[in-house]
Amino acid sequence: MAAERDLRTPRHLPNLRPGRQPPHPSWLPRQRVGTTPQMIGRYPDYDVLASADTWDPATREVVTERLREHGPLRFFTTEEEPTLRAFCDVATAQDSDPRIPVAEMVDDKLAAGRLDGYRYAGMPRDPDAWRLVLRGLDETARARYGRAGFAACDPQAREAIIGALAEGLLSGGAWDELDVSRAFSVCMRAILEAFYSHPWAWNEIGYGGPAYPLGYMRLGPLAVREPRERRGASAEDPVRAVEELQP
Amino acid sequence: MTGRLRGLLKGAIGPHANDSRYLLDVHRRDLPGQDTMARYEESEEVDLCIVGAGAGGSVLAQRLARRGWRVVIIEAGPFWHPDEDWVSDEAGSHELYWTQERVIGGEDPIELGKNNSGRGVGGSMVHYAGYCPRFHPSDFETETRDGVGADWPISYRDLKAHYEEVERELPVAGQDWPWGDPHRYPFSPHPIGGAAAVLWQGAIKQGIEMRVGPVGIVNGTFGNRPHCIYRGFCLQGCKVNAKASPYVTHLPDALAHGVEIRADSMAVRVEINDANGQATGVTYVRDGERTERQQRARMVAIAGYSIETPRLLLHSTSTRFPNGLGNNEDQVGRYVMVQGATQAAGRFPDELRMYKGPPPEVSSEQFYETDESRGFARGFSIQTVSPQPIGWAEHVLADGHWGGALREYMRDYNHWSTIGVLNELLPDPENRVTLAQDSDPYGMPVARFDYSRSENDKANMAYSKEILNGILHAAGAQDILTIQRYAHLVGGARMGRTPEDSVVNSDHRIWGVPNVFVADGSVCPTQGSANPALTIMALASRLAERLASRNTG
Repeated sequence: MAAERDLRTPRHLPNLRPGRQPPHPSWLPRQRVGTTPQMIGRYPDYDVLASADTWDPATREVVTERLREHGPLRFFTTEEEPTLRAFCDVATAQDSDPRIPVAEMVDDKLAAGRLDGYRYAGMPRDPDAWRLVLRGLDETARARYGRAGFAACDPQAREAIIGALAEGLLSGGAWDELDVSRAFSVCMRAILEAFYSHPWAWNEIGYGGPAYPLGYMRLGPLAVREPRERRGASAEDPVRAVEELQP
Repeated sequence: MTGRLRGLLKGAIGPHANDSRYLLDVHRRDLPGQDTMARYEESEEVDLCIVGAGAGGSVLAQRLARRGWRVVIIEAGPFWHPDEDWVSDEAGSHELYWTQERVIGGEDPIELGKNNSGRGVGGSMVHYAGYCPRFHPSDFETETRDGVGADWPISYRDLKAHYEEVERELPVAGQDWPWGDPHRYPFSPHPIGGAAAVLWQGAIKQGIEMRVGPVGIVNGTFGNRPHCIYRGFCLQGCKVNAKASPYVTHLPDALAHGVEIRADSMAVRVEINDANGQATGVTYVRDGERTERQQRARMVAIAGYSIETPRLLLHSTSTRFPNGLGNNEDQVGRYVMVQGATQAAGRFPDELRMYKGPPPEVSSEQFYETDESRGFARGFSIQTVSPQPIGWAEHVLADGHWGGALREYMRDYNHWSTIGVLNELLPDPENRVTLAQDSDPYGMPVARFDYSRSENDKANMAYSKEILNGILHAAGAQDILTIQRYAHLVGGARMGRTPEDSVVNSDHRIWGVPNVFVADGSVCPTQGSANPALTIMALASRLAERLASRNTG
């Protein structure tokens, strides 16, 4: 896998690989500072939260609020919870802790009645679409894999079901009350908004994050990193990379 | 002023009759004058009641208040206190958008919400990217020139002076502009980031001319408005006050001249006196109240944009207008337009970090007009954009990736740069806003917006996607991800020469009603491939001039 650690090449990108599948994330360095989901990422020495004291108070409050411990689900029922968690895990490839609490963040959005400002004709309202999708996932898990529910399926079966959902290929039961591919997009909209609003995900992707009132000065092309930003992991020896960081 | 002199005085010339830039506070972002704002009695007949405090309504109010008119603006959303309300964060900016329920249908349903709909004082320009191109002269006569779309009852010449004045007010920064009616901008172009530079090089290799701007973002200082700090959150509300929106460009001056903005107030009907057919005022509901209130007014201007303006008209039924105000010819809500807004991202060997700098940087209008060799009528523009992480996730998802593949592309974010098009999609009477079965908490039926593309539209979008791919390949992109999407709204209450095929006349006055005007992008009969904000402001500026001189037809 050494060649894949040269980030000037695009060999790790799914479109350029067989079956449009990514390499196993074991090629990625472990996070050395701060937290990332599953402690993997491309910027092992970067923690966006280290500059939180430079953000304006309103932004700091909104972002750090996402780090608090989440209470029990308010919108989804106890019966729906395992399916919801399994769905969010598969959709964002979170197979171990630390996890970004996507299920809780989606639950929070629906419980608060936050809508996105549009509903496809013929589709139920977003909260009802979510319940139908979770019911449909369980029904498909029972019908195709003979399991008690979606959460009881093995990882391959879960991925196959979500793949079929993404392609709009599921039918019967709850699925007949939905436009299946639109339902996938409704759910993914909420899931991705939750995941990529979380500062742990920003660490994983090396995103500079909020920058008011500080601003950005290094727009490129000669300099692209602010003093508070860190370079991406590369083919260089990680031991030397760490040593270079020491003053 | 000669063009040469204007070039020499770049950055030094302000607007003639707008002090907003001096009224703003250097250290606080609140709208100055909110606490001392004029208050009018509801029973008092004001000169003008405007619905909507966005691009159209704000300019109209500012202009006429300077002429001594007593103006009340009814605005559904809140007064912003940007220091506390706005954040450098995508998900945290949810409140800026019109997220109330709406239904979308047709063969190509258009996503609304954060994509194109604002709510609150300042309107959608609070979260627009900042591109401020003019329409081309050809946009006003596409039927004559190209046999498609419609001719406007006014021409580019009618708007030119207003474009120039609004460009001074925003102010617009950009290179000298070679397309359409060639012109200069009052402020110099911004420096561009490495992500946009890579794309520009690709365009040059493809023989495509691009220019920096035009953006309504301060370059230098402008009164008490500071220089842009390139933090990249134009779409989340500018906390810096560098990006233009009515909140900083027109409303400070409007309040200083006696305009009242009644925020958190949803207009539900325009009241018509059945005896003489005149409007008497606007009925509205304030948040947290159940009883309807009514503001009396000598004139009414509706500026709720292409979904809410038709919705309000359709809901304003009376004996003379049983199907909605101005809708006796079944024209209200028709010909709503969006632009195709496909975006393609390319992967490059070096880190580019496209989140820095304003999302709008470099653009081209080389493909704007009809070229018969392309096989479709009209054209498109090209603009660099730069999604923040949630926007980037939607882009990756649209290319068919989720789970581990999506995470892989997301981790690669810093190596990508994005370029998009705006296709001129043609007006169609079946692309329309109607009232749905469901009602909102005010008891008013929600809007339904149906949209389908024509064959010409599809050909335009397919062709422009290949141009984007050509630019990315020429730039050396190692991989490309594409999202097909739509942007902007205009039409729905278009201006025309007869009541049979339009809702308002060339003076924005609703046919058959002496004192109700439409003052937003709804009046546009065509849309070109230009972002609509500047044109909406210029139209409102012209309307104000017409109303003030009492020349309206």
